[in-house]
Amino acid sequence: MIAGLLLFLVLPLVMGGTVYALRRWATLSALLSVGMSVALGLMILVLPLGRTIEIWGRQIVMGGTLSFLGRELILEDVDRVAMAFLYLTASGTFLLAWQTSPGSLLFPVGFGVLSLFSGSLLIRPLIYAVLLFEIAVAISVFGLQAEGGRPGKGALQYLSFSLLGMPGLLVIHWLMDRYALTPDNTGLRDTAAGLLALSFMLLMGGTPFHWWMPAVADDGEPMAGAFAFSVNHAAVWFLLLGFLETYPDIAAYGRFGPLVAGVGLAMIGVGGVLAAAQRRPGRILGYAVLADSGAALVALGLSSEAGLALALLCILSRPFGVLLMAAGIRGLKDRRRDLGWRAGSARGLVTEAPWSTLAFLIGGLSIAGLPITAGFAARWSLYRGLGRAGLVAVLLMMAASLGVMIGVWRVLSVVMAEWEPEDVKRGELGRVEREGWARGTVVLVGVVACVVVGLVPQALAPTASRLAGLYTFLVR
Amino acid sequence: MFLLEELLSRLVLLTALPAGIGVVISATLLVVSRDWRLNVFALAAQYFFLTLSMTQVVRVEMAAVKGLIGWVICLVFYMTEQQAQSSGQTGESTEDVALESWFGARLRLWRHEGISAQAAFSFLAALLVGAAIYAGASAISLPELPTDLSLICYYLTAVGILLLGLSQDPLRVGVGLLTILSGFDLFYVALEPSLVVTGLVGSISFVVALGTAYLKAALAVGTEETPA
Repeated sequence: MIAGLLLFLVLPLVMGGTVYALRRWATLSALLSVGMSVALGLMILVLPLGRTIEIWGRQIVMGGTLSFLGRELILEDVDRVAMAFLYLTASGTFLLAWQTSPGSLLFPVGFGVLSLFSGSLLIRPLIYAVLLFEIAVAISVFGLQAEGGRPGKGALQYLSFSLLGMPGLLVIHWLMDRYALTPDNTGLRDTAAGLLALSFMLLMGGTPFHWWMPAVADDGEPMAGAFAFSVNHAAVWFLLLGFLETYPDIAAYGRFGPLVAGVGLAMIGVGGVLAAAQRRPGRILGYAVLADSGAALVALGLSSEAGLALALLCILSRPFGVLLMAAGIRGLKDRRRDLGWRAGSARGLVTEAPWSTLAFLIGGLSIAGLPITAGFAARWSLYRGLGRAGLVAVLLMMAASLGVMIGVWRVLSVVMAEWEPEDVKRGELGRVEREGWARGTVVLVGVVACVVVGLVPQALAPTASRLAGLYTFLVR
Repeated sequence: MFLLEELLSRLVLLTALPAGIGVVISATLLVVSRDWRLNVFALAAQYFFLTLSMTQVVRVEMAAVKGLIGWVICLVFYMTEQQAQSSGQTGESTEDVALESWFGARLRLWRHEGISAQAAFSFLAALLVGAAIYAGASAISLPELPTDLSLICYYLTAVGILLLGLSQDPLRVGVGLLTILSGFDLFYVALEPSLVVTGLVGSISFVVALGTAYLKAALAVGTEETPA
């Protein structure tokens, strides 16, 4: 009999090694990655908890508690949804990376990270979850560095800020254990709440610790950056919710809601303003994600189950925009000559890279939360959820959306401009062959998925609500 | 491993003040020096003195494991820097140099040209940080830890942050991160003296070292390939 939980820790590692060995055959390794991540994502959702099933003559039992190196691995309903989301998002990343970054280290590194995140979700107590999470973040650096490219600041800053977030989280465990013994000593709880806020600000890129976000999206491998913004960021959220669930006294702390909402509003403001001021598409993506993360925090700051559902809806819908935008950036980057995004080098790229331009546009619309895209479904629900009481927050979010769209438009205005004779003279025109049908198909699949979720929000909203209902820290 | 434990148990006399001073000097050297050989040596020394300090709060075997991980990390950094130098990243000579003549050359350089402005600034910054910590540490003492070890924790964390702020070189940033991690580890090992935690924190240190070494190697290769 095989413990099902172990499959989700071991299989990704095995697959990571396999796709690394098969890197020379980019299509094979990419399709294997997509297939395995989809299979694992569906398995965790479909396999019944606590029952023994037989697959290819092997008996597998899911759920329950498993002892691993003397620690407990526990699969709960919350973890099932979270893990399925991580695996399915990773499959989307791998699918787009198949056409945009074939043969990159993202595939093997992604599987390593998925295995560690799965362990992080399952293991108890939470200090081990934090340690596994940090190992996963440190491994991500290998994927973020574009092969053959000069290392930028992004990967280093991401590693630095994430690592700085670790000590606080480890100490919270000790503080809350002491608080459980001496509940009168509220200083322990207050310190733990402060450390939790600071640590997660560092991990999420909360203002003023947001520098790594535009850097990661701009100077590294865009698809790996998208992986960090969707999969890693979601793992941070599930870790945060895990902490709040384990230590409900922190969630019940009076200043928790306003503090979270305040940080969220700052992120929205900074993200929106700075996105509008950028010319480099990667930096626009980074600031757009910053604003989107802020919106999710504002929703969490409502300190209600509905607010949590809205925050989770933001997290669940984010990958559609982020992955498409990153795929677009990768496609456009492939076809320009200089690194500065001067007008001459990017002018007229739409004729060479129509699919990448489309991906960039739709991804940008989605991450900005504009209509007919997945991001709009989440953002509109959030506007309604905040209501009249949150009018300022709603206006700020709308302004941030406008800021992101200004940034996107600035890039598109160059990409869609016609070539000029001096560009030809300067030799700044890139390769003239157009993007192939395979890339077009993959981008179209992504665009259709993004639009369908935007038009039919019921595709994600019930999952977010169900997931929010599984957390009990807000109702205690 | 047995020899190392025996050695550490014989060095137990050094665990109090001398080890603390050793940690402070080696950490300060990391901030001040830009010479990679000296930095690797300082990092190795820092791990050695830190291991000695740790024996005050945990068993010798556990401290020895942490020391071993630290020295393996130093080896990774040494090999990466050597590789980067041989790729011609800084234009320094790649010829093998005898240790004696290398120290001699350094001494002559310092005697003739004095300390560089950057080194003087870094030293002053480290000095200020040290003074601030000495003044402030008593106000926020760390639980489960003697005062001298608290001071070391704070100093290592502050020096690590200083290193992050003063450099963009991947390996120096890596050294900064590892110094922060070492400072925290000294504190946390007193709170949670578990072997699994020790192993996982060691894994984080090792992966951080590998990650920054990878970025350094990419930088060296990128510089080599970029036409002048």
